Amino acid sequence: MTEPSVGELRGQIRQWRRGRADTRLLQVLEDAYVAVFAAVMGLSVAVSVVLRLRNDLEAVCRTATCHQARSVLPLVLALAVLTGCVVLARLFGPMLVSPAVASWLLAAPVDRTRLLRPRLFVTALGAMVPGGVAVAGVAALAGYDAGSVAALGAAQGLLCVLVVGSLTVAQALRPGMATAVGRVLAAVTWGLLAGLTLGLLPRFASAEAGASVPAAVVVAVLVVAGLAAVALWRAADVLPLIPRDRLTPGGTLAPGLSGALGTLDLALAYDVLLGRHWQARSTVASRPARGTGIWPLVWRDLIRLRRRPRLLVLLAAAAVVPFLAAELGLERLVLPVAAITGLVAGLDLFSALRVLSRTPGLVRCLPQPGWQVRAACCLVPAVPLLVWGVATAPAMQAALGGPWAVALGTGATAGAAAVVGAMRWMTGRPPNYQLPLVSSPMGAVPPTLYLSVFRGIDVTVLVTVPVLVAPTVRGVEVALGLAAVIAAILLARD
Amino acid sequence: MPTDPPLLRVRNLRRAFGQVTVLDGVELDVAAGEAVALVGRNGAGKSTLLRCVTGADRPSDGTVELAGRRLDERDPDVRRDLAVVMDDLDFFPDLSVVEHLDLFARAHGLAGDEAEAVVDRVLADVGLVPQSAQLPATLSSGQRRRLALASAFVRPRRLLVLDEPEQRLDTAGVTWLIERLVQEKGDGLGVLLASHDPALVDAVADRVVSLDRTGAE
Repeated sequence: MTEPSVGELRGQIRQWRRGRADTRLLQVLEDAYVAVFAAVMGLSVAVSVVLRLRNDLEAVCRTATCHQARSVLPLVLALAVLTGCVVLARLFGPMLVSPAVASWLLAAPVDRTRLLRPRLFVTALGAMVPGGVAVAGVAALAGYDAGSVAALGAAQGLLCVLVVGSLTVAQALRPGMATAVGRVLAAVTWGLLAGLTLGLLPRFASAEAGASVPAAVVVAVLVVAGLAAVALWRAADVLPLIPRDRLTPGGTLAPGLSGALGTLDLALAYDVLLGRHWQARSTVASRPARGTGIWPLVWRDLIRLRRRPRLLVLLAAAAVVPFLAAELGLERLVLPVAAITGLVAGLDLFSALRVLSRTPGLVRCLPQPGWQVRAACCLVPAVPLLVWGVATAPAMQAALGGPWAVALGTGATAGAAAVVGAMRWMTGRPPNYQLPLVSSPMGAVPPTLYLSVFRGIDVTVLVTVPVLVAPTVRGVEVALGLAAVIAAILLARD
Repeated sequence: MPTDPPLLRVRNLRRAFGQVTVLDGVELDVAAGEAVALVGRNGAGKSTLLRCVTGADRPSDGTVELAGRRLDERDPDVRRDLAVVMDDLDFFPDLSVVEHLDLFARAHGLAGDEAEAVVDRVLADVGLVPQSAQLPATLSSGQRRRLALASAFVRPRRLLVLDEPEQRLDTAGVTWLIERLVQEKGDGLGVLLASHDPALVDAVADRVVSLDRTGAE
């Protein structure tokens, strides 16, 4: 039997491929044309929206603080994007492999550099493009000229690449570094927001000042590009040194999160992240509860706060947002901004409520009625949120004016709105695919699927409406009464 | 002279999922101090029957009574008397093994030293003392099963409902489970379990109910 020639093998491969082709070349070209056309259309719409918003902002932004905030906004967003980049990198690796790759390829004597290098470059690209585009968009909104927008976008994209490269090196050599970097970036971002609120920051150049790209910015972009290239090169060098136990957790996490986000089930995504957080912790110093009946549940929440004091630190840090909103002259909108900020920052305090809501078997282990169990899980988290709301009273007073009693009541309303929003978010049910489905570009989906994204925010905003309509003591009373009714309905719902 | 009703009484229970009837005309009594085992092939309806009995699922027809009262799982008295271990039991991700048991014991009214003593005893019984500070996600599947069983044993109860309790337990664990369930009967508690383990059924059950459409044995 003679060995086939290379030409014969290629011919066989060509025949095999053609025999399985299911699309004509012309159809592929047509699809490519539609995709490119859609991308260009989408991009032009986005640019148009940004320019329109920019003009609108220039018309309404009259106060000195507003102008200052506009000029600093790209810097704040750049830091926030970098913090998000670090958080995601820490969550997923940044290098990760799927469980299948982990069991089949990582266990085999293959060169891991060849396996991981394409993932490194895809990850870097995935961080660079959205990060750069986001900051460029905000820079355009802030009034910077085209050259500055391009420079800031490029610098941000390259900084994201630098972060991915550096944290890949850290994943191989110093895995604890990502946490420290994330904390520093978060602290600096918060400091910028606080400085802006207190009027301590200098105003940066923007289009109104007629400034273009300073030479220093161009040099900075070039320096960052060089650092990013070095970081990426070094990361590619250390890829084979990343141990398997640091590559697989991200790959295990990704399918769970993508499944939850694919169905817009944000609460399920929260469950996945919460489980992951505590699994990494593995043990705790056990402490007995106190009391009997529902009180041990209340006591457990106190112990939770003691175990995760950073939840309270985060909540306290978030108080800067309503004060900044007041400084920006948002007037009555400061209340919904404060309430939604409280909802987001205080959500994690209600983790016990979420666990009990998704696990009926756990509720069956407790002899109390369901509403009592749920109420017990809300008691401790509600206190810091209400206190937080009252602490925003000076911002409310600055925004709305009027007597301090109303400002205190408005702050309490913000806290109460955040509490009921968190309760609704945590007790929400997953999308019900047994209901009649509606057609969508994503396939058949339940009609309530898209609305579930606004779960929690809906009741939070609803509670603030009476005060927005009538910023008086009566308005506050109606809002707090409304919050109490919503809380009662959410607790009673089995 | 009127006789006391059985601890658990199921009459003419039917459960259908669309066109498929899984259970039809099921009659079942469990007396105090008695263990009844449900057996049958996969899909025979053992878990469905247990879910209907515990209120985790709603029967299409029929009645379920606990100690002469219609069983409503929302009733705190029912939840106090009924200890259930089924596959849907999950745990708080941030509470350790011992904290779970402490929570369940105290929620059921055991206070202070009494709760501590019961928790320590049950922890030792299920062999989870070395894992007492661990969080549930770090336990093996067998250890999680032991924790689920412990959550039922750490609290006051009158009727124990177990869905394939031998699942994921090692040989020593099954032996311990048999001894424990026999002791539960001896203490006057009712036991209703579904199982695929003939050794467990033979050792524990006073009566065996087959759901393979062949009627009670």
